[in-house]
Formats: sequence, C-alpha cells, structure tokens
Amino acid sequence: MKKALNIFFCVSCVFASAQTDEDQAYKKRVLETTEVDFLSSYYAQKGDNAAVTGGIGTEELTDATAAIIISIPLNDDDVLTVNTSISAYTSASSSNGNPFDITGASTGRGEEDDDDDDDDDDDDDYNRTGNAVGTPWNASTGASKKDTWFSVGVDYAHSSEDRDFSWNASASFATEYDYTSVGFGGGILKQFNQKNTSIGASIHLYLDKWNPIYPTELKSYEEVNGNLTQGFFNGVTLLDQSGNTSTAWRPFYGFKPIENTARNSYAATFSFSQILSKNAQLSVFVDLLQQKGWLGNPLQRVYFGDVRNYYIGNAASIPVYTSKQNTDVFQLADDIERLPNTRFKTPFGMRLHYYLNENIVFRSYYRHYSDDWGIQSHTAQLEIPIKVANSLTLYPSFRYYTQTAATYFRPYEQALSSDKYYTSDYDLSSYSATQLGFGLNYTDIFTKAHIASFGLKSIDLKFYQYKRNTTFSSYILTAGITLVSD
Amino acid sequence: MIKKATLLVMATLLFGSCVVVKEYEKINLNDPDMALSLKKCDGNLITAHAYREATVGANGGKTGGGCGCN
Repeated sequence: MKKALNIFFCVSCVFASAQTDEDQAYKKRVLETTEVDFLSSYYAQKGDNAAVTGGIGTEELTDATAAIIISIPLNDDDVLTVNTSISAYTSASSSNGNPFDITGASTGRGEEDDDDDDDDDDDDDYNRTGNAVGTPWNASTGASKKDTWFSVGVDYAHSSEDRDFSWNASASFATEYDYTSVGFGGGILKQFNQKNTSIGASIHLYLDKWNPIYPTELKSYEEVNGNLTQGFFNGVTLLDQSGNTSTAWRPFYGFKPIENTARNSYAATFSFSQILSKNAQLSVFVDLLQQKGWLGNPLQRVYFGDVRNYYIGNAASIPVYTSKQNTDVFQLADDIERLPNTRFKTPFGMRLHYYLNENIVFRSYYRHYSDDWGIQSHTAQLEIPIKVANSLTLYPSFRYYTQTAATYFRPYEQALSSDKYYTSDYDLSSYSATQLGFGLNYTDIFTKAHIASFGLKSIDLKFYQYKRNTTFSSYILTAGITLVSD
Repeated sequence: MIKKATLLVMATLLFGSCVVVKEYEKINLNDPDMALSLKKCDGNLITAHAYREATVGANGGKTGGGCGCN
C-alpha cells in the first residue's frame, strides 16, 4: 500500500510538473519585451480659404511632430504604454489672428501684458499700428505664427489567462497655446468562437478647455470699450468700402469674450470583428460621439454680407481684396464664428482585409459619417501591402473622401447678420478629396541591428499626397522606428 | 444608417458562424498586415485628417477630443 502511495505521489508530481511546464509553454506573454516606437512626421498644407480670415486667404501651415511610444510588459498579462508627443507648427491661421504684424490682442500679449524689462521691439509694437499693414494672403510674422502642441497619454491593459478577455484604462493630457485637454477612457474586448469572433466596447471622456484667442481687432475693440481712438486703434486709419476714412466700424454684436470656454467630448465605441476564412477577416466599428461646449474656434472671423465693410491698410487694394494681388489691406471682422453648443456624431466604419498570397494583402476600409450639423461623409480606402523581399514591404494606397456642408457653413461675405449660427471654415464645407500614398516597411524579426540594448525591429516610411476639389492640398511624410529590448 | 449597420452586423454574425478557423490555420491571418487595428505609424495621418475634415471616429484614431479640431 505504501509503495502504491509512493508511486501515485511520484506520478502525480511528474504529471503536475508536466502540466505546469505545458501551461507555461503555451502561455504566451501579451508583450514579450519592452518596445519603443519613435514616430515623426512632417505635414504641409496650402489653400485659399482660411477660416481665420473669413473664408478667403492663405491656409499655409507646416507641422513637425515627434512622438515616443514605450510599451512595457509588467508581467505575462499586463502592459503599460506611455505615449509622449510634441508638435511644432507654423500657421498662417494662428498668425493672422493678428494680421498686422504687431503685438496685439490676438497674441494675448497686448500692451497691458507687455511689462517685461527687455528692450526688444515688442514693447513698441502696440503703438506702431499707424503703419499697420495686413492681408489675408500672407501669414503675418507676429508672435503667434509659431506654436507647440504637447501631449502625454498613459494606457494600462490587462489580458485574461486564456487571452479571451482584456480590458484597458487610459488617461491623457494635451496642451497648446489656446487649448488644454484632459482625457480618460477605458474599454473591454471579449473573444469567443475559438478566437474567430470578438466584441469590444470602450468609452472616452475629454474635458477640454479653450484659452480663447480672438481676432485682434475684436479683442481690442472690447478692451477700449469701442473707443476707436484708443489702444490698438490709436493712430490707425479705418477705411470704408469706398476707401474713405471712417470710424463707423463696429463688431455687429459689439463683441464680448465667450463665457463658457469648456468643450467636452463623450465617446462610446463599439467594435465587432469576425474571421471569415483562412484568408479574410472583417471588423465593424460604430462610434457615438457627443460634444458640448464652445464648439467653434474663437479665432475664426466671419464677415456678414448684409453689413458695411471696413478695412485697415491701403485703400487702393480694397477692390482686389479677395485676390492674391491684395498685399496690404485687411478687412475688419464682423464677428467670430458661432456654432451650436452641442454636436452629436455617428461614424460607422468597417475594415475588410484579404490575404491574397504570401506577397500581397488587400486592406480595405469604408466609413459613413453623419452628425446633427447636417454633415454626411463617405470615406473609402484601399491599401495593398506588397512584399518584395523577406524584410521589405511596399504600401501603395488610395483614399477617397467626400462630405456635405454643415448647415451653418457660409462662404466669405455670405453669412447674414440675422443668422443665429455661422462659420466660414471650409473644413465644414462641401468637398471631395483624394489621397495617394506610398510607403515602405523594413522588418527584421531577428533584430540583428542594435542600438544600445535595443534591437531594431522595423522601420516605416510613408508619404501621402492629399488634394481636395478646391484649392486645398497637403502632404505628410511619416517615419517610424520600432526597437525592442534584448 | 443604424438599420443598415444592424443588418450588416447580423449578416456578418450569420456568415461568420458558419466558419471556424482553428488556431493552427491562422498563419495567414496572423500576418502583421492583416491586423485590423490602426498601425502606429499611421497615427499622425489620422490626426491630420481629424483636423482638416469634418469627420472623425470609427477608425481607431481621435474621436473629437484632445485638440481644437473638427
């Protein structure tokens, strides 16, 4: 009996040991080692419908972004990801909040704020408005021409032992010169049907806040209580449509800074994915997005078509104001854009990926979008990764996008003073756009090349050219390097 | 739109329920280019679209918060 018990005990130990080894052998870590992604991009755009100058004027903008994403496996099941990003941009839009190349209200650094002790020219700029020259067709060289956007996000993800269930929680913070955002979110994902099917849900909450920057003439008007002989307007000649001197300009509503600067977004996302065959899989996404607060941009001007126009600059250029020949006259705003304080968006998207053979994959994407501002859009994209070598893949792609205009969109000088809501932001206008892209990826699964204690896993380079059926066009060059720790 | 989406999801469920691909048969589906998630290197492109287009969401990118975009 004792011998039998000994044998049973030994067999049990061996079996238990084998089971443990087997479990460990089959339990793949969610993330094997720490991964570091270095991402960067350079974006440039141009166009003739700047919102900050009421729907006409240069839209030139460049942006350089760098980001580091660090994913750290905390154990077999948990991964912590930290995403830090910084973006430096130069923008005609932000600079033409004050188009007069002086330090004015739109920069938030007007006379009353310029109490530094330096001897730079900024201290005198406010009094040089008598020589003020501005045009919507050039970016001014004011202090707000350049700025920086910074963001940091943290995400914690946990997967169940069998990897059939996972959840994550995230938080983010972002700031730029006129905007601050704090975000929270979380989601769950359940796989079943032998991991052929998955269903996910997530929610995100963004508590954003404007630090409003206004068109310089409107902010200055409010600061001097409408006295056009003081402050910014001291020594400045205002002109009417005929080019005659006038002091009759008034913002249509007298202009008051916005009181509620909050802009909150609430997003619920539902996803479903399904393996269709050994070579095809599909996913479907539905978002329900609710925004509340100040949903316009306080820097964006609107000109009413039913009120008189007033200018600062060269009277001779008024007749050619809307053409690029205008280099030295600027029209004073009637108001900033006004939009409803709620917006409900319902985008619905789907991806279908098909593995044709070991060299070619089809990645297709379609999205339908609608919101209660009257915008509907369709997005269709096809990317065809082509493996030309073991480590090298090419990524040609094409994207088509079309949208209808927001109910409140009005081109330059077509809004009416009797309208309740209006914007001349052409991003909310009706247009279609095409995008051509080409990229390449180098992947070394053995990470032979090393940087310190990290092996080089992959390099991505992509270029996209985007063109609307208007004057707007842009391009973006992106680069990414993925390193994994040894 | 919601009706169409519901029909599509139901059709996909019905279609999908007919097929079960075993783990060992997923070698092609596990190709990195078959992943249904957004690629990290495309994040800035998605953000650019979110700024310049009236449409956001349903693509794994921004959902309208965190920036002054549309």
